Amino acid sequence: MLPAAAAFCFPWEINSVEVEEGKSVRTFGRLVSYDWDESRASLWAQQGSTEHPVTINTAYVEPFDPIIGAQYLALGEVEKAESVGVMVRARVLTCVDGVNVALLQKAIAVQRSFFRERESS
Amino acid sequence: MATNKMDPADEPPPLLWGLDPVFSAFAKLYIRDILEMAESTQVPGIYFYNLHPIFKVDILGTVVYKRERDDFFCYGVDDGTGVINCLCWKNDLLKQHGKPSGWGKHSDDAEGDFNVAAELEKLQQFQYSQCHLDIGELLRVRGPVKTSRQQREIMASTYYKVNDPMMAVQIEWMMEVPELYRQCYDKPFKLHPDASGEPAMSTLSKATNIIRDFLKQKSVVRFRPYDVLDLLHPLVPEQPRTDSAGEPVAGPSACQQARQLLKEALQILQDEGIVYRKLKSQDEVYQVTIHDKDLLIAIKDIIREDCRREKYAEKGCHLLHILSAVRQRYSLNVSKAALELVLKSLECNSDIVSTSDNYYTMF
Repeated sequence: MLPAAAAFCFPWEINSVEVEEGKSVRTFGRLVSYDWDESRASLWAQQGSTEHPVTINTAYVEPFDPIIGAQYLALGEVEKAESVGVMVRARVLTCVDGVNVALLQKAIAVQRSFFRERESS
Repeated sequence: MATNKMDPADEPPPLLWGLDPVFSAFAKLYIRDILEMAESTQVPGIYFYNLHPIFKVDILGTVVYKRERDDFFCYGVDDGTGVINCLCWKNDLLKQHGKPSGWGKHSDDAEGDFNVAAELEKLQQFQYSQCHLDIGELLRVRGPVKTSRQQREIMASTYYKVNDPMMAVQIEWMMEVPELYRQCYDKPFKLHPDASGEPAMSTLSKATNIIRDFLKQKSVVRFRPYDVLDLLHPLVPEQPRTDSAGEPVAGPSACQQARQLLKEALQILQDEGIVYRKLKSQDEVYQVTIHDKDLLIAIKDIIREDCRREKYAEKGCHLLHILSAVRQRYSLNVSKAALELVLKSLECNSDIVSTSDNYYTMF
């Protein structure tokens, strides 16, 4: 069976209430830490002057070769466990170091505004 | 979105499908739209997005599901709006050998030596890597949309792995597709821009066509402007013109407008060489160029006589030579365009023969 479609979600939106548990998302950020015991990676993304962390569960994509400081794109399902907080269980985790983050954010905004425009008309 | 709620009665007739440019293109649609498009009730395999008939699409997305069979790969592709199965047939090479064995056995060949077998193997290896994707890799697929077992899928006619380490291709795609939707897919396809079905035409070109048709149908030889003025009256609005407050505005009357229109139309016909004035006098008489027997005879005489001269015997007379001779002997007002028309009609009747571009002779 095919999995659900994963729409782009900004890292600072994942913690919000609108993103429900089990929703498929793709998000991005700079890898700051990786804990192989727990299969947990931490991505950080900057919005304005604040940094937003996203925790990624890497159990499905291991073994993977972490490059600390590089940009990563994660695609997976949101999990909201009480003990660890919000987490994305990644099905895909790709290193996209060198990506133009500002342009990527703009492209996501362009796509969203198009969908809004189309739904309202 | 109204795509999947389309009434079957709204379907445009199949005869007109080919006139929609989207029909023959690979439409770059979002996967969600591909999944939701209504299938045609008349021809299965054709789908409608906003009344645009679509049968082949072009998508780019991440592989999130993969299944391999003897003959094909089945990739689930996710573009962020939906996930669709893509049926990617293996070519014979992939089918026979699976993963080609013995790769790299030519690696110890002397460097600089061009080994065809080794190069071919490299190519095959490359092709294999392009067709063999893993989950998480980016795939581009083009091909017709099919529905099998109630599931929509794309039968890939072309597919390949896209190497996009910095997401440049994906970002470009995300920027491009909304623009395509706005300019093309979301705009309804209209066959007739004008309600009457006639292409929009200016009054002047309508007037010119009316006179041209009249001259042709009636085989007119010569005429004066007031002979044809009546033809143009239908083109000029009869009602007196009023301004926004409803007051009549002083302006040219319908008759004056028609006369002005006629003047402009005759000028166009003169420029095209269809009519000319033999004499520029008070009495405006227009000759219809190709019906002017005297002109035809004069031109034939000029070519016949001059081709006897040694200078022109071999090559024939040049257009400009004929033009200056006609102006000297017949009428100063014959234009080059008019002469060209006459020469063309004489040539069609085999009265004259062109020896090369713009050179004419007579036997």
